[in-house]
Amino acid sequence: QMIFNADEAHNIVKECIENVLGKADYNHNKVNQWTAAIVEQSLTHLVKLGKTYKYIVTCAVMQRSGAGLHTASSCFWDTTTDGTCTVRWENRTMNCVVNVFAVAIIL
Amino acid sequence: SFAVDEVSSIIKEAIEGAIGGNAYQHSRVNQWTTSVVEQTLSQLTKLGKPFKYIVTCVIMQKNGAGLHTASSCFWDNSSDGTCTVRWENKTMYCIVSAFGLAI
Repeated sequence: QMIFNADEAHNIVKECIENVLGKADYNHNKVNQWTAAIVEQSLTHLVKLGKTYKYIVTCAVMQRSGAGLHTASSCFWDTTTDGTCTVRWENRTMNCVVNVFAVAIIL
Repeated sequence: SFAVDEVSSIIKEAIEGAIGGNAYQHSRVNQWTTSVVEQTLSQLTKLGKPFKYIVTCVIMQKNGAGLHTASSCFWDNSSDGTCTVRWENKTMYCIVSAFGLAI
């Protein structure tokens, strides 16, 4: 039976974030395309793993200005096969939180 | 298939119930986000449909910072779906997303 490999997903996502945001400063005009790029690239790489999972990838990018930000998630699924992985990343001007949810497909 | 309107009402009720009428408070935000996702999830499962669910909640203090969120899904377009509710008051923003995946 399949188990979700969180470490593998974590590495994939971290690379995608670095690729997109690595050297950038928060830029209001570009944030939209950054979050879209991060979720799309992460999803593409996850699907390429070729496992029978449905995936949901979410990404939040926030400007660092002292505001408090809290996120929570709750899942109703099959705990033996399904799983999640969260990657938190930051640089001088912004925070980025990416969540991956993987739900096994029953054949 | 995923009933967006029904889910949207469930989410709105959960947000109002947990934080409606409150001002942003660092010491309570943790229990608020937890309460919103748990309340939403339990109402969704009570619908009794053959779906797996994922609910996420983001609460951010209003102080001028920019926040962007995005999500991308690889699933069955005919049966699966999502619904996002954006809520705000004078001191905070709350964004809740529910994803339903047919079994």
